[in-house]
Amino acid sequence: MVQLTLPKKSKVKPGKTWNEPERGGDWKEFRIYRWSPDDQDNPRIDRYWVDQSTCGPMVLDALIKIKNEIDPTLTFRRSCREGICGSCAMNIDGTNTLACLKGFDDVKGAVTIYPLPHMEVVKDLVPDMTNFYAQLRSIEPWLQTDTPTPPKEWTQSRDDRAELDGLYECILCACCSTSCPSYWWNSDRYLGPAVLLQAYRWVIDSRDEATGERLDNLEDPFRLYRCHAIMNCAKACPKGLSPAKAIAELKKLMVERRV
Amino acid sequence: MTMRTPLKSVRHLGSAKEGADHFWLQRITALANVFLGLFLVWLVVRLVGADYVEVKRLLANPLIALPLLLLVLSSALHMRVGMQVVIEDYIHTEGLKLLLLIVNTFFAIGVGAVAVFSILKLSFGG
Amino acid sequence: MAEASSNSSSQTERPLSPHLQIYRPLINMVMSIVHRLTGIALYFGALGLAWWLFAAAHGPDYFAYVTSLFATWPGKLILFGYTWALMHHMFGGIRHFIWDFGHGYDLKAVDILSWGTLVLSVLATGLIWFLLCPAIGSNGSAGSPLSGGI
Repeated sequence: MVQLTLPKKSKVKPGKTWNEPERGGDWKEFRIYRWSPDDQDNPRIDRYWVDQSTCGPMVLDALIKIKNEIDPTLTFRRSCREGICGSCAMNIDGTNTLACLKGFDDVKGAVTIYPLPHMEVVKDLVPDMTNFYAQLRSIEPWLQTDTPTPPKEWTQSRDDRAELDGLYECILCACCSTSCPSYWWNSDRYLGPAVLLQAYRWVIDSRDEATGERLDNLEDPFRLYRCHAIMNCAKACPKGLSPAKAIAELKKLMVERRV
Repeated sequence: MTMRTPLKSVRHLGSAKEGADHFWLQRITALANVFLGLFLVWLVVRLVGADYVEVKRLLANPLIALPLLLLVLSSALHMRVGMQVVIEDYIHTEGLKLLLLIVNTFFAIGVGAVAVFSILKLSFGG
Repeated sequence: MAEASSNSSSQTERPLSPHLQIYRPLINMVMSIVHRLTGIALYFGALGLAWWLFAAAHGPDYFAYVTSLFATWPGKLILFGYTWALMHHMFGGIRHFIWDFGHGYDLKAVDILSWGTLVLSVLATGLIWFLLCPAIGSNGSAGSPLSGGI
């Protein structure tokens, strides 16, 4: 039976409060998931207070400020700070999103921050993405052709190109996949929304000639059909894409090729 | 302890090249059940307060018995494929999963058989 | 599921990040769970339908016994729950059909469809029981439209 609760060593305990709000200033509380392989303890929730009047508006701004000024051991991934690299994906205020795109003004009260859900934690807000990347590798996300490569380029009509809108924008942050309960229970066999969206992106690419083989590899009770249209993925996507729609299109193609 | 590469784990046993049939059967029976389920609701409302003779007469009517038979068959199929997904979602121990999948099939066939037998007996049993 | 864990003490076992415990219960997710729960309820509820048909086929005495059980308060409660489960699962199924055909994916539509499933299932259940129990809806005077007919 799949474990719906957390394993004993993963249960989250109350942590410590690093600073208190001082007189003057506009203070916001952040409750952040902490775990380090160095201390043999359970994960904990630490509390930090940030003066909003001296901090940028985004959750990532606050995290950087905390790391710079309060607690240098706080660990998280970040790079572009403008929603294009996908590094700072995490669970903020109960839903998955990018810390750099989430303003903490949106959150009433304390801002709770966890790593992406149901993942192995490397440290603090950094999850282990190994399986996710291996799943992406498994759908071979590159152009596959048998026709000899044309001297200049593979051409594509405007309409063909338009098919990729809503798909090519995916930055592989994994917000969607790790928001999906079905992926929580079956990430060893279910590819999850992000990878399936990528799979569909190559299936409908007008230049790609491996469409049938791609569908063959996807048609599996677990790889594709663990999607139960729960729709958390569509709500989580910080780029406003709909992995759920891409998966539905894949399911339609599976029917189409046999009727 | 295993030292398999992540890709080896993900590729696992390869694609079953199956699932579309299951999906299709699930949707087809669902569509049928929308209409047949509403029929059942109508039938139950119609039968409230009726005495045994009336119930028996109505259930023996071909216009009632036939859709009822179809409902039982469609529901049994739908129940089986639906519960199969639930079992596969949550049960990861191979032996137990296999056992439950078998029990699931037997349950659907069993319930369906009892219902079909009863409807036929009401129609033809005199 | 027991993962093979390293027996060397140098490698600390990594925790699993919180999931169901911390994820916001979005209406689409809740309705998805309810769709599954009602499906499971209907699965076992099918025993009741088969039993009722079997009783009818068996004879008047046994049929009277079974219907008298359904007429008790716990029996009625189960039937009421069954009605709601059937309606919720049906409207949930129609919602899935809409999605299967590639419609209703913008986030507003997702919410409308999810809430719609809940609201319509409650209304439909109310309507059915209004028809079932003339006494509940009659208010003494008008009566249910079918009260005379049943």
